[in-house]
Amino acid sequence: MEAITAVAQDPESDMDCSDNEGFDDYDYYNATEDNDIEQVDPSKTDPEHFEYECLTEEQVERLLNETVEILSNNLQITPSLAKVLLHSHSWAVTSIISKYRSNPDNLLINSKVKPVTTPSTSSTCSRYMTCPVCVSPQVNERFFSLSCLHSFCKDCWTTHFEVQIGQGISTAISCMARECEVLAPEDFVLKHLSRTTMREKFQQYSFQDYVKSHPELRFCPGPNCQVVVRSRELKAKRSVCCQCKTIFCFKCGMDYHAPTDCLTIKKWLTKCADDSETANYISAHTKDCPNCHICIEKNGGCNHMQCYNCKYDFCWMCLGDWKAHGSEYYECSRYKENPNIAHESVHAQAREALKKYLHYYERWENHSKSLKLEAHTLEKLKARINQKVMSGLGTWIDWQYLFTAAALLAKCRYTLQYTYPYAYYMETGPRKELFEYQQAQLEAEIENLSWKIERAETTDRGDLENQMDIAEKRRTTLLKDFLDV
Amino acid sequence: MAALPRRIIKETQRLLQEPVPGISAVPDDSNARYFHVIVTGPEDSPFEGGLFKLELFLPEDYPMSAPKVRFITQIYHPNIDRLGRICLDILKDKWSPALQIRTVLLSIQALLSAPNPDDPLANDVAELWKVNEAEAIRNAKEWTRKYAMDN
Repeated sequence: MEAITAVAQDPESDMDCSDNEGFDDYDYYNATEDNDIEQVDPSKTDPEHFEYECLTEEQVERLLNETVEILSNNLQITPSLAKVLLHSHSWAVTSIISKYRSNPDNLLINSKVKPVTTPSTSSTCSRYMTCPVCVSPQVNERFFSLSCLHSFCKDCWTTHFEVQIGQGISTAISCMARECEVLAPEDFVLKHLSRTTMREKFQQYSFQDYVKSHPELRFCPGPNCQVVVRSRELKAKRSVCCQCKTIFCFKCGMDYHAPTDCLTIKKWLTKCADDSETANYISAHTKDCPNCHICIEKNGGCNHMQCYNCKYDFCWMCLGDWKAHGSEYYECSRYKENPNIAHESVHAQAREALKKYLHYYERWENHSKSLKLEAHTLEKLKARINQKVMSGLGTWIDWQYLFTAAALLAKCRYTLQYTYPYAYYMETGPRKELFEYQQAQLEAEIENLSWKIERAETTDRGDLENQMDIAEKRRTTLLKDFLDV
Repeated sequence: MAALPRRIIKETQRLLQEPVPGISAVPDDSNARYFHVIVTGPEDSPFEGGLFKLELFLPEDYPMSAPKVRFITQIYHPNIDRLGRICLDILKDKWSPALQIRTVLLSIQALLSAPNPDDPLANDVAELWKVNEAEAIRNAKEWTRKYAMDN
């Protein structure tokens, strides 16, 4: 293991030396002895390395309140106004402070705290005023206004806020006057809400808005999960909720999708949702053995198939002879574009486009199905181990490594699945060739691993662990070269 | 049903006493929140000479929520669809409780004078309005003659 790790780092340290003109060498040779391998910075070796923490609602509230306090102390404004400013400026305290120092009016107007035009203060001599909304005359003391000085009666403000909150609006409630965009800050809203349910709803919606506007925070997308993940690295990286274990992309909150980026995966998933019926229809769930034509249903993860009937080894994806896959690279994952496509008719181009899409979709879908069969595969693995132990072939402890192998297989297959949308949207060229080459290598090693797990004996442990290492190396190599976050 | 808010009573009185030129809005006999509206097509627009029937309804939380308005007479307009639904900002996110039935109807009349094909509701109409405005205006005049005159 260690030897391989060291080899994998070689190119990196070489680069460091050349970049820093030997300064690093000096440090390197002076380093104390006990830190040669342990001290490796995981953010350099693991392309998926991501530092984050899971926070509870209370912790997030404390965090937000601390920021609010800093700003309100610094600018000498109410916490409520500070919240409006932070919400509209992605919680960037320092940038708000500097903007305030250079041009406070500009900041307050852009944040909809102050009106665009300074309102004229109309002093009324009469003790009564008519509310423009409910048109009922009332004593002056019942009238309230925001910084824009548009006055409305207390009851109208209350109803306005209740209607807005009923529609799920909280931080974006504005003044009632026509074309007035001045926002109602939290203290103003709460002052006019008497019903506890309304106050609670308002605070709950505001909290959600604050978290959503904070770049370092992301709600766990797991069903009914209240956890908020926090990271200072605002990247599309893999986060795991500590509570419900949901795995998701920190940037977009969708299923983790490396090496594909957030926009591409969204485009791909929309496309699949639109086209899935055709694709499902075309790629049926069963295939015939290419040798004896008996009908085969795939019920496990491995694409290396052996026909029960004629013992022919073939690849489930391309139905070609498995032997042809073993050599330098794995032809099956590579889509061969018709080079004369530009000269073909529109109809032929449409067919070609569909063919191209189906090529990637089938592989995407196939790996997704394999992953869904994971639970089933684990059951089968347990049964097999049980049987081995009962017949005296090793103990339970001897066989535990297979579960680790199965978990790694799932991880690799997951990445492989998300390489297909990436490849689909790539432009033809040397970079795509390199990508598909690495993808093919990863796929080949994954299939080898899957095949070995399904047939492992206690004596094969070394071989299997070696295979695990190779598969994981292929995975990280591909991510290192193509994961761009 | 709860008593009619003072605001609605006041607005209705004013609409009947000082009607807006080219617009009539009369509350229904059985429901004071439902108005029968007639808007005359503005001068120098393809809708000139037409009388367009609309319905207007004040929801329970009016004026905190916008009134619901719909064309009953068929109209060829990029911001009004086949069902008579109107794409107008003040009826949606730009609604303010300070707006009134009167201002809403005036805005609808203004929309007839100045169609906005860049924010379309009826896509085919908006498309034609952008590519071939002359033909679109011919269609609008034709529809006005067919559906908004002599009935």
